[in-house]
Amino acid sequence: MKGMVFTELLSMAEHALGEAAVDDILDGLALDNDGAYSAVGNYSCGELMRIVSAISDHTAIPVPELQRRFGQWVHGRFVEGYPAFFADKPNALAMLDAIENEVHVEVRKLYPDAELPTFETEWHGMRALTMTYRSDRPLVPFCHGMIEACVAHFRQPAEITVTEIGDDHARAARFHVQLTG
Amino acid sequence: MDGDPPRSDTAPVSRRRYLRERRAREEAESLLDQKSRELFVANAALREQAATLEDQVRARTAELTRATAAAERANAAKTAFLAMISHEIRTPLNGVLGMAEALNDTGLELAQKDMLDVMTASGQALLSIVNDILDLTKIEAEQMEIEEIAFNLHELLEGVCRLHALKAEEKGLSFERSFEFGSDRRVVSDPTRMRQVISNLVSNAVKFTLRGSVRLEARVLSSAEACARLEVRVSDTGPGVPADKRDRLFQPFSQTDASITRRHGGTGLGLWIARRICALMAGDLVFDSPPDGGAVFVASFRLVAADAPETTGLLGPREAEAVLRARPWRVLAAEDNRTNRLVLHHLLKPYPLELTMVGNGAEAVAEGRGGGFDLMLMDVNMPVMGGLEAVALIRAHEAETGRARCPVIALTANAMTHQVEEYLRRGIDGHVAKPVKREVLVQRMADLLRAGGAAG
Repeated sequence: MKGMVFTELLSMAEHALGEAAVDDILDGLALDNDGAYSAVGNYSCGELMRIVSAISDHTAIPVPELQRRFGQWVHGRFVEGYPAFFADKPNALAMLDAIENEVHVEVRKLYPDAELPTFETEWHGMRALTMTYRSDRPLVPFCHGMIEACVAHFRQPAEITVTEIGDDHARAARFHVQLTG
Repeated sequence: MDGDPPRSDTAPVSRRRYLRERRAREEAESLLDQKSRELFVANAALREQAATLEDQVRARTAELTRATAAAERANAAKTAFLAMISHEIRTPLNGVLGMAEALNDTGLELAQKDMLDVMTASGQALLSIVNDILDLTKIEAEQMEIEEIAFNLHELLEGVCRLHALKAEEKGLSFERSFEFGSDRRVVSDPTRMRQVISNLVSNAVKFTLRGSVRLEARVLSSAEACARLEVRVSDTGPGVPADKRDRLFQPFSQTDASITRRHGGTGLGLWIARRICALMAGDLVFDSPPDGGAVFVASFRLVAADAPETTGLLGPREAEAVLRARPWRVLAAEDNRTNRLVLHHLLKPYPLELTMVGNGAEAVAEGRGGGFDLMLMDVNMPVMGGLEAVALIRAHEAETGRARCPVIALTANAMTHQVEEYLRRGIDGHVAKPVKREVLVQRMADLLRAGGAAG
């Protein structure tokens, strides 16, 4: 998994808990590289899950909720770092529809080895979209948070319904997004 | 996670945080270094690949240029070969057709006459194929020349109609014609090529129509004095052309249906040639499909109005015959090909001529200098001495001795317009194209003999 996810997670945790608390959490985990992450490196997803779990223990926030907030945080970083992707989209649905065939295409150019989730989309008229998320990693709540932040970014209220699918929990889900405003 | 962050920007960084950041930095630098090397190697490979590709493109381009030049040379050679072989076919064909015409005058029985008709028709069909191929080669080599001759438009169209009306009648078709101009309308254009195009259209219409009618309408569109347009509309009540095959109508070597070749023969070149000729004459040839069936072809040609009315009308066939029979004209004929000599001999046999035959230009000069001939027929290409050189020597001799000028007709095989003009400048008075047709030869001879006779 890309180092950027780790640095962003730690950045969010530091923002909320402070550097000392984050250092304590990392020290308590006996990680492969002692928790030294660079944005350009590649690290095991298992370590991320362990850090999330440890932060959850520390804050008493359940892991799924923590993932959702992290999704929202990362979305904010995307808007800051890659405004061009958002500039030409009329609404959140168009943005979500563009992830697979636009955003991921660009990601693969920069990181040919990136292991990306898939986002199948299906339109229901102009105001509703079903997005099916499938990943090797149990990050459905993270994805949920990203979608929520995306809807908020375009300032057009929408109802988001999540249905987990498949046997492996949190590895695949169907998000139905209906514009309401 | 949303609470106030217990952090301070001024607080010292702990040793463990410093070590962790340093380690992350070192790892990032190592990654950067590795990526830089990979990039360098990839760049070098790309440069090498680009250079190889450029070399390959250069080599392929050179190959392609060579191949194109070779193909163009081969195509030109093929065209030249076709022209040569067609020309070679015309010489013996000249013999066949000439002899057939001569044979016709030998009092044949009815059955023999029928056989001879088949022979003549087959020979004519072969000749028209060879002529098509010669036209194709001329068009491909951009050597098709268009003449500008004053002629009577009404007579030309009437001639074409007469030629095909008989065939139409035999098939039980009605043949209609309407000309929107007077019978004395004289224009300047290329009558031979115009006749070829219109004849092709009418012949096709008669050929493909089983019942009903064939109609030829002609009108001169713009009546401006200097320049006008002739539009000839040939319509029939035949099967027409299916919509999906119309784009192939004007393609060379293409007939809309292979069965047409089997049933009607032909080279599939006629319409292609006709359209090219129309284009060369600043017009066009288009197909039109009327809603009630049948086919309509519209040919157009640019016309220039003829300045002066015809002063010396050509002799009619009977008058021409009469001139040749009027007295024992002395005619010198120079022709190296034995078959052609025989043909000439037989074609002219019905007339009381004193015909002297020689085999080359030098012999013609020797005979011609002796004088006493009313007319000379001169082949252009002959061994020992060609026809043009012979005529030059004869003209010089006439000038020296003050003797009357003897008219000369050049017998030309497939002569180009500019060549004929050159002949006329170099002392030739007229030309007859091979294969020689009796009617044409007699007409041309009679014209010159009459003029000479009138002068002398």
